[in-house]
Amino acid sequence: MSDLNWDAMSDDELIAALGEAVAEDASVSTQRRDAARAAFTWRTIDDELAELLHDSAFDAGAAVRSSAGTPRALTFGRSGITVEVEVDGDQVLGEVVDGAGAAVTLQRPELDDVAVEADAAGFFRFSGVGAGLVRFVVELDGWSLTTPWVTL
Amino acid sequence: MRDHAPVDASHPLATLVPAAVGGDQHAWDAIVDRFLPLVGAIIRAHRLSEADGDDVSQTVWLRLVEHLGALREPDALPGWIRTTTRNECLRLLGARGKVRAVDPQAEHGLDAVVPDAAGEELLAAERRQLLREALAELPAGRRELLLLLLADPPVGYEQISARLGIPIGSIGPTRARALEQLRRTRALRELEGERA
Repeated sequence: MSDLNWDAMSDDELIAALGEAVAEDASVSTQRRDAARAAFTWRTIDDELAELLHDSAFDAGAAVRSSAGTPRALTFGRSGITVEVEVDGDQVLGEVVDGAGAAVTLQRPELDDVAVEADAAGFFRFSGVGAGLVRFVVELDGWSLTTPWVTL
Repeated sequence: MRDHAPVDASHPLATLVPAAVGGDQHAWDAIVDRFLPLVGAIIRAHRLSEADGDDVSQTVWLRLVEHLGALREPDALPGWIRTTTRNECLRLLGARGKVRAVDPQAEHGLDAVVPDAAGEELLAAERRQLLREALAELPAGRRELLLLLLADPPVGYEQISARLGIPIGSIGPTRARALEQLRRTRALRELEGERA
């Protein structure tokens, strides 16, 4: 790959490439930089983090069918605790498996937390959830599980 | 970190990562400043809307806040950021129903849904990131000289000479030495090794 051979580039070519690289640095929007810096305020040390085990938006299968109109399904889990979430428009329906009465909190970076309680079957629902970043915190009987951030 | 010597983007990751893990906001900002352009370039290559791009960017940084402590090797950070950004772009394209249809008979991996042009753009973005990394490796004086030479609007030699305290006659030779040193940086050496 000759274009990756820095030695073969003349000084003028190298400085031109460097100019593009430095210009890209300046092209970052203030909004993105501020949001990225502010992300550090979400730093927590002892949260038990769930893993995103499945996301229908990320399936090879999602590439085949049109995912428009099909609710997006996500599965989070950790240490035997499973949380299933289905996103249909601005409705978020979920289930904490064996999680009757679990407290479920919906967190979004620039909005207030919304908390609901799962019913006797472990089901919960959030309405009016717009596009953007979310994560869920599930608490029950002294344990607590935080999902990774996902973009809806 | 001492207050009078705040960390900045030119500090090595081996310093920045543990400092950020320890709660140092300046170290975090430095990591952000260093990799935001790469994240932005990867997002651009995936043709996301501005709003979706903002969301992907923020997802990457929020994920990194969670992941930082688990990162055993600070040098693994660029790869983690690259992979996470690409995955989040693909995830959002999937969620928006914008992925290209692929032949269900063929065993396509996720790469198959990336537009072909994105491959070259990603490589170019990577190269620009390496050049910025290389620049950060240079001694401060040489880095400043190169940045002044690249300034837009241009800065005259006389002003550069005054600002850096070097004679006008040595700007040219110093530029050549700085570029030669740039070619020898770890950042630029490594890519060559990887692709060879």
